[in-house]
This record gives sequence, C-alpha cells and structure tokens, in this order.
Amino acid sequence: MSGLRERMLRLRGGTPAPEQDPRPQTEPDVDERKTAEDGPGSSARETAAAAASMAAFDSTDHSEAAAWARLQVDEHVGEQGSFLLRRVEHALDARHGLHVLGELAPAAGALAAFHRADPEAPLPSADNLLFLDLETTGLGVGTGNVPFMVGIAYAAGERFVVEQLFIRHPAEERAMLAYLEQRMQGRSYLVTYNGKTFDWPVLAGRYIMNGFGRRREALRHLDFLHPSRSIWRNTLTSCRLSHVEEERLGIRREHDVPGSEAPAIYFRYLADGDPAPLAGVFRHNELDMLSLAALAIRFGRLLGGELQLPEPEHGEERMRTALWLEKMGASDEAERRYERLTAEMSGAGPWALPLAARDKKVGNWRRAVVLWQKIALQAEEAAAPCLDAHIELAMYYEHRVRDLKAAIRYAEAAERLALRRAGLERAGGSARAHLTAIRSRLERLQRKTNKGNGSYGGQAHRRSARAVDRP
Amino acid sequence: MNRWTGVADSLEEWLDEVRRDPQIMNQVTHWHTLPARAAVTRALPSALHPKLAAALRGRGVGELYTHQHEAFEAVQGGANVVAVTPTASGKTLCYNLPVLQSLLHDDEGRALYLFPTKALAQDQVAELQELATAMEVDLKTHTYDGDTPPTVRTAIRNAGHIVVTNPDMLHAAILPHHTKWVKLFENVKYIVIDELHAYRGVFGSHVANVIRRLKRICRFYGSSPQFICASATIDNPREHAERLLGVPVTLVDNNGAPAGEKHFVFYNPPVVNKQLGIRRSSVLETRRLAGMLLRQGVQTIVFARSRVRVELLLTYLQEQVKGELGPKTIRGYRGGYLPKLRREIERGLRSGEIRGVVSTNALELGIDIGQLQACVLNGYPGTIASTWQQSGRAGRRQGSSVTFMVASSNPLDQYITEHPEFFFNRPPERALIHPDNLLILIDHIKCAAYELPFEEGDTFGGEPLRDMLEFLAEEKVLHHSAGRWYWMEQSFPAHNISLRSAAQENFIIIDLTSGSRVLGEVDRFSAPTLIHEEAIYLHEGVQYQVEKLDYPEKKAYVREVDVDYFTDANLAVELKVLHVDKSVEAGELERQYGEVTVNAKATIFKKIRLRTHENIGSGPIHLPEEELHTSGYWFAFSEAAAARKGTSEMQHALLGLANVLIHIAPLYLMCDPLDIRVVPQVKAVHTKRPTIYFYDRYPGGIGLSERLYDVHGELLRRARELIASCTCLSGCPACVGPIEEVGLLGKSHALELLAEAEASR
Repeated sequence: MSGLRERMLRLRGGTPAPEQDPRPQTEPDVDERKTAEDGPGSSARETAAAAASMAAFDSTDHSEAAAWARLQVDEHVGEQGSFLLRRVEHALDARHGLHVLGELAPAAGALAAFHRADPEAPLPSADNLLFLDLETTGLGVGTGNVPFMVGIAYAAGERFVVEQLFIRHPAEERAMLAYLEQRMQGRSYLVTYNGKTFDWPVLAGRYIMNGFGRRREALRHLDFLHPSRSIWRNTLTSCRLSHVEEERLGIRREHDVPGSEAPAIYFRYLADGDPAPLAGVFRHNELDMLSLAALAIRFGRLLGGELQLPEPEHGEERMRTALWLEKMGASDEAERRYERLTAEMSGAGPWALPLAARDKKVGNWRRAVVLWQKIALQAEEAAAPCLDAHIELAMYYEHRVRDLKAAIRYAEAAERLALRRAGLERAGGSARAHLTAIRSRLERLQRKTNKGNGSYGGQAHRRSARAVDRP
Repeated sequence: MNRWTGVADSLEEWLDEVRRDPQIMNQVTHWHTLPARAAVTRALPSALHPKLAAALRGRGVGELYTHQHEAFEAVQGGANVVAVTPTASGKTLCYNLPVLQSLLHDDEGRALYLFPTKALAQDQVAELQELATAMEVDLKTHTYDGDTPPTVRTAIRNAGHIVVTNPDMLHAAILPHHTKWVKLFENVKYIVIDELHAYRGVFGSHVANVIRRLKRICRFYGSSPQFICASATIDNPREHAERLLGVPVTLVDNNGAPAGEKHFVFYNPPVVNKQLGIRRSSVLETRRLAGMLLRQGVQTIVFARSRVRVELLLTYLQEQVKGELGPKTIRGYRGGYLPKLRREIERGLRSGEIRGVVSTNALELGIDIGQLQACVLNGYPGTIASTWQQSGRAGRRQGSSVTFMVASSNPLDQYITEHPEFFFNRPPERALIHPDNLLILIDHIKCAAYELPFEEGDTFGGEPLRDMLEFLAEEKVLHHSAGRWYWMEQSFPAHNISLRSAAQENFIIIDLTSGSRVLGEVDRFSAPTLIHEEAIYLHEGVQYQVEKLDYPEKKAYVREVDVDYFTDANLAVELKVLHVDKSVEAGELERQYGEVTVNAKATIFKKIRLRTHENIGSGPIHLPEEELHTSGYWFAFSEAAAARKGTSEMQHALLGLANVLIHIAPLYLMCDPLDIRVVPQVKAVHTKRPTIYFYDRYPGGIGLSERLYDVHGELLRRARELIASCTCLSGCPACVGPIEEVGLLGKSHALELLAEAEASR
C-alpha cells in the first residue's frame, strides 16, 4: 500500500493531477442541475412553522446519540435494514410566509391544470400529493451521485408531516429506498422543484443500482420550476427556490445552509461521525419542503382564479402570470387579468409588446392596435426608441386595413426613429439592419401606391407581400 | 497509347512505359509486384436466416469469402473473434452477419458498435440501414455521439437495436449514466469493435480500461456479450485483442477476397548534394509522379504526413493539371475539414467525379471511398501497418493498381527504401498497450467506482485492486463501508479524463506579416526549442522570427524576416534513474530497463551566422520546466570503451548513434515517433559511463522502452546497416545527422562504437 502511494505521488509529481473541476459536470442532454436552482440563501426572520421544529437545534451536548436526539432523528429499522428518520408534524394553521398550510386542501384541486391533457390523471388533493426534495453528494444525474437525504412531506389528517430520510453510510440506501417506495404508494403526484429532470431521474437510477429493477413512473409530476420560470424569468434575478420564496412567498430563512454546501457537510460527517453540522442541512431541506407546499398553494389559487393577494406592481410579472394561466388552460382568468392590466397601467411598459404579440396571434386586433399605438407614442419621445410597434402598425395597416397611407406614415416614422437610434450606435448595430429593412418596406409601399392597386391588390400579390413580413 | 493525347490505354500499358523511362527508373530502388489473387469462397452458411440470405443475394452476394464464413461460424460457436483482413475485403460482413442473424431471431437483442471516429460510425449506420431495408425488418440502428440531438437520445437508449458510438462517448456519457441504458445493457449480445489496431499506445491503454468498465456494467445487468473485432494487419492481432478485451479471442485471418495485380514501387529522389547527403524534395517528386498519374486519367490518392503538406501538395497538383482537369476534381482531405465537406469528397471519390485526393492518414481508416487505382505516399507513413493500409486504398478486385512510396531524407525513409526486404518480409509492427499504467488505471478505477461500488473480492486490471481502493479512500474519493467502496466526491470523474494522448496537442504558428494566416504547426514537445520567442523559424526556406509565444494557448506569432543567422536552442535534459527492473550485462555493454524521471527545460538559444557558423549572440528562454516520470531503457558502454575516445569524439559518436536509433525505433513500435525519446550522455549520472537512454513520453510509460529493451540487439544491427549503407561521406540528415551536429568524423565514430557494442554481445 505504501509502495503504491509512493509510486502514485512520484508519477503525479510529473504531471500534476488534473484539477478537480468544481463546476457541475453533466451529460449535456438531460441535466438540469439541481444546485443551479438551489444556491446561497438569505437570512432574516424565520417562518413560524419552521421555527417550532428548529428550536431544539441550538443546544450544546456533544455525545453522538445526544446530537441525533437534538436533531429529533431516530433510527428506523425495516426489513431491508436501517437508516435514520426525522419526522416533524406541523399544524394546519401554521404560517409559512404569506400562506398557511391549511390553504393546501382547498387550493390543490386547481393543480389539475398541470395534467389537463391526461384524462386518467386523478384530481389532485391534499391527500394524494407527495412533496419530495433530495440532498445529494454531487451534481447531475450520473450513477455516482447518491441522495444521502430524501425529504418527503404529505398531509395526514389535521397535520402536515415532513419526513427526512437520512443514510449514515451508502450501505443504508437500500433500506431508505424501500421506505420511500412505501410512502409513494397511495399517492398520485410527486411535487418537486426541478424533480422531473433531477430528483426523480436520480431516484430512478438509485432504484436500479440497488436491485429494485426499473421503476415505472407510477406518480405524475407537479414540477414547480417550470411555472416559476414562466412567471418570474424576467422579474426575479434567479428562479432558485430560496430566491422565489423570499421575493414572492414572504419567507425569510435564517442561517440557511445553501444546498451547494450540503455534500461537503455530509462528507465531513462520513469522516468524523459528528452529526451536529448536519443540523443546517436538515433545516434547509425541511424549509424547502414547506416552501414547496407554499408554492402549491400559490399556483393552485392562481389557477383557481381566487388569489386574494394584491397584484404585483410589475406589469411584466402580471402579463407573464396571465400568459402562463392561458397556457395552463385558464383562459377566462387570463383574459380578466389582461384586461385589468391594460386598464390599470397608464403607459405601455416592456410587458405591452409581448401582450400585443399574443393578441395578434389570437386575432384580438382591437387591443393589439391600442397597445402598439401606446408603445409607438412612447417611442416617439424616447432617446433610444423601440421600433417594433411602428413596424407592427405599418404591417397592420398595409395588410389588414389596406390603408397604404397610414402604413407609409408609420414606416416613415420608423425610419426616422431608426436613424435616431443609429446615431447612438456603433457601426454594425442592429438599428442599421432595421433601417435597411424599413427602407425596402417603404419602397414597396410606394410602388404599391403608385400602381394604385394597394387596396385592390390580388390575392397572390398580397401573399407575397406578407411573406416578406414573416420570413 | 493514343499518340495524339499521350494517354495510355490502360494502367498496365502506362506502367510498361514507366519501366522504360530511365529518368524515373534510376530513382526506383525496388519494384515489387504482388500477383493477382482469386477469390476463395464458401456457400452461404445453412444456418443463415432466410431473410438475411435473400438480402445478401439481392445485393449480388451469393457466397461468402472464407474469412467472412469463418468469422460467422466462430461467432455462432460462441467465440470472441478478431478478423484481420486487408482494406476492401468485405470485413464489415464479418461482424454484421452474426449480429443481424442474432437480431432476426431475437428482436429484444442489442448490439453495441465502437468506432474510433464519428465519420466511420456514420458510414456504418448507412450500411446497416440498407441491409435492414432490404430485409424489410424494423431494425433500429443509430449513432450516439456528441452530434446526436437530445430529442432522439431517449428513443435510442430504449429502442435502438444497434447503437453505434465511439470510446470517448462510452467513457464520458454512456457508462456513467448506465441506469438510463438498462435495455441495452440487459440485452446486449455483441460488442463490435472495428479498427482495433487504432487502439494502441496511450489511447489504447485508456480504451482497454473503458472496456473493463463496460464488462463490469454488463455483468451487473446479467449480460455477457461476445466481442467481434476487426483489425488491419498488425504483428500481434490476437494478443492485442486479448489484452484490450481481457478475454480469449479467436483469430480469423484466412482472407478470401480477390485482389488484382498490385505494383509497389519504392522511389528515392535524386541526390542533389552528395557531400551533405541532400536529396531533392520528396514533395516535388510526389507532385511529379501524382501529376503524371492524374494526366493519364488514373484516379489517384496521395498521402502526406502533415496537414501543411496536404495543403501544399494540393495547391501544386491543382496548378499542375489546371486546364486539363477542373479544380473541383482534385481535393484535399484531412482533420479540420467540416463533416459535410468530407462526406461530399467521399461521395465524389466513389462516383469517380473526383479524380485525385490528397489526404493525411485521416483516409487510412475504413471510410468508404471506393477503390482507387493509384496511390502515392509522400514519405514512409511511419509503420508497415499504415503503409499497407494506405496503399490498400488503391487496388481493385480486377485490374492492376500501383503504389509509389516517395522517400524523404528522414533516416527511417532511407532505411526502408534501401532495404525493401525489411518491408516486404517482416511482419508489421506490434500494437502495444499498457492498461495497467498506474495513472491510467487509477483514473478508470475512479470512473468505475462512480458507476458501481466496488465489492470485496472484485478485480480490475493487473494491480492489486484493494491497495488502489484504499489509496483512493485515503484521498477521500471513495468511502469504505460494509465491505464496499463507494464513490463519495462531488465531481464527475470521466470529465477530467481524456482518452486521447496529450501529444496530439500541437502549437499553431501564425504568420503576422500580412494579416494573419496559419503557417504550420509544431508538436508540443518541440515547441520550447523551435518556437521560443526570438527564434528563427524556417518554413519552406523562408525565415520567420517568433515575436510572441503564447504557451498556454499553444500559439506562436511570427513575422517574415531576412537575417543571416539561424537560432539553436539548448535543451537541458536531466535524467535520473529511480529504479532498475531488468538488467543484462554482456561484455562491454550493460543494458537496463526501469523507472526514470526526466526534467527538460529550454535554457538559452544561440544565434549562429549562416555559412560561417560563428556564434554571434545568445539570449535566455523563459519557459516552464517539464518533469516526467516514466519508464526507460538504456545501454552503457564500458569504461574501457570510454577511455578509447576523447570526450568530444565520444559525444559525437553517441549523438550520431542516438539520431539513428530514434529514427528506426518506430520500426519495432506502433507509435507516434514523438511518443519515444532518446538522450545520449557521455558520462551518465546513473552509470558513470557513456550511455544512451530511451524513455516513453508519457507519465508511467506505455511499454515502448520495454519493447526496445527486448529487441536491443536487432536495433543496433539495423542502425549499423543504415549508417553503413548511407551514400553520404561523413554524416547527413538521413543517417547520423548533419556534420554541423556530429562533426566531420561523426559517421565513422558512430560506426566504431557500434562495432564495439555488437562485438560485445
């Protein structure tokens, strides 16, 4: 052994061992990195629900058994062996940020929208959801990434139960997986944050590695990463769960241990057997479970059209929320929100253009034109004006209304604005490219006007003109 | 001969003319004719699935060549097989037949194909799909590589009958995610590895370990696939396959494919300066011969050894036949061309639209370009195996073909042209791998542990596994509990481990004289002495000065200059022997093999005036020192021998001898010439005597020096033959080196030393 060590060190002396790259390494096609969504958290006021269960963490007895006891962790012994289990119950009136856990039961049904295309999907209810969140030893869904902690949560009568399954060493994994399998029975949905691409694929691999064979995806997914991205991608700096909960769910975490630090803490535990530093990982994971419940409430109530919270100030977020609702099949609620948005917002923010594009697509020309005109008005006064609305209007008047004069008016205004913009840009900027396009549009409009066939143009002609607008 | 156009009616007629042309024949050192060979066939095996038999007959295959037949029977009998046959002998049927046979009987079965490059993989899929269509069966064959769109990956994992990929992809994407490939690993019946000879040296040693991992994963899923391999002709195909795969292998080499008559012509360019031993440029002679062939309308392939030479020859040839042939009819082909362009060139060659192609060894592998009529090799390709592979590109089943080998002034080329019997009588080189190189092995043990925990009693490779696992556990990479070793690290080990050797990383030389264009490239190990800052770099006779060497980015920026000096850099090489593993003493010579460390650092450079060779200045070189721990072989002359010569005489003699030995060493090794290095020392630290060291240019060694240690006697004999038969007076670049380097008596000193060495054997 010592001979080998010497030889290794000698050989490595010649070629320094390749630096262990700390960045995530993944197979390119599949991996949404878990930790990308799970970075540093924040500190401040702790939430009421969590505070109760966490209070015990801060004592100072140093024996190992005492340390586990302080973490409220017990050994679980089953047919497949043993592992550790921490079980915490929360009352339904416990508050977690803006929401109270008891809201879950009335809100859950509306989550059916996630699987509206699947006629066999059962109606979601507080009783058939299983919240899930893993803490793993590495990144990606490769076979060497081991979940050392499996957090699950579910409603049981008048309680909301969080269970955290923890392995003292990898040989306990089998027993833990067997327990998880039992817990999944009788549930219909896995509720996760990025679980479709991370948590579940990791677990599916672990079941195979531990000889359980291929697990069919018996449970359907409610993966809240996707709606979070749809709604907040432009208004929040990150869609990490901890960031979303802080900014939108009114949750503040105190002394949070970021998920990215969890592997190192676990490795230290494996080396020295001291459970104390794991307290932060248990706490982090438990808060994640509670936040998942809060998100389920938030999305359920949004989809149910009965969210009482004040509307966010950002027009952008309001518009994205409505677009998401529309995508999820809640068209009426979406339309109500579009109307309120256009009525309540005075000017036309960055939200207006995507909304106008949506309206154009569904043929709601009335509102699209109003929005474009608002945007165009603002553009006239901007130092670095946006040209899109003018061009949309020029297209609208040329092809739909066949009012060539109006079309030319907007195109000429667009040309003016493009020139103003080009003055601010370096050579090769986009304004010059726009300018060329606008000028050829103007030429075409002039040609049409001169031929006098603008308003009577044949079908073929019109189609070719449109082809120019939609390459 | 058409007397109006000067074009011969056939290749045979043209060759007769060439034989009567003294201008050419004076330079031909050997004209070897391999007679035509008739096909040897067997009836389609009775066990062959009727659909498969019908599909073959439909493509005009009514019988099998003997090697195809034997491979089929051997695989049916449960053996692992390596088929060795020349280019264009229908070797793909050797593996496709048994695989398709099995899939026709069992739709759930799976096969995994490995090719060294993506292009070969794509060819293969096209061929398999044709056969499947002919059989009207739904056989899903897919490539799985970096270009595979994410959307189809899941389908391939679950439903692909035949997955065609490369070792790198297997290493970094498939094995570490094996739980997504359950269907494949549970049902895999065959693993097909083509171009087996390509897996040698460092790359081969890595691949052998990837295969160890692959077998381990298959065992986990309860499958034990058979291996079916194909290889070009090498000296040790069975041994190589067995080392690479770690299983007993049956050799199939009774080639039954027909071949037309084949002419092999060795051509040595005329000497233009007898005293300095300088011959006319092999590039110009290659251009002349290839030009003649192209004007005769003979479809011709030209192989050159570097990318730069490919471009140069391409330009020359296009100019030469301008007006007679369109520019699109002569093309280049090398790594660095985009896949789409390569496919277009391959198609053009098959259809005959493209009449000439100049290629690096990229076309040596089995990419389908049909069969050409003539081949011109610009320089000896480096190994007997490669030479036959490249020459095999010309040769039809009927009619004659010709290969010209145009020698360069490199000693190895000169040896081969002057000793054709060596080339024709000797088996090709041995493919060497060293899968238990400690650094390579431990890298793959990490990957293997990531894929599946190790258990008590497991084995992996030739080193005691337990020691390695304990070492990794101490390094906190693995965790030992309940009799198993688990991967316990955040990283993904396969991403830090590349299967391909570092020697392939070249420095690019960029000329800034007007704009910026790539002038050429220099291998990593020569860079410190050739393209250090202020060096004068010669390219096609033009002087360039290096203005900036960006060492981390591997780029040198040069500008054209006109100066009357050249630069000569001093490389301080320190070599320490750490451990002697083998040792033989015979008379005045002691030879040993063991572990060494090498420290190399470019220290200073001298400016030396042209013609007068006076030293007119010098400067420092600031580049990092390189340290290497590897295996080496060395031989030392006795103190008595040392006493017979002055220090400077001995230095010249050793240097001359070393120059020759390093050039002919590749005769015994199937390796890149840069993988093995030589260092002569007048008074070595270890032996205290005049010593010549060889070492493997890879940490831990890959078995090259060890092989040289074994063939020591033959190596010295060849060296003596080469020096003795060289036509120069007192040393030239084709033997011991130019007189500027080894002195006026270098050649005779080296011969004396060799005589002493051989006498003492």
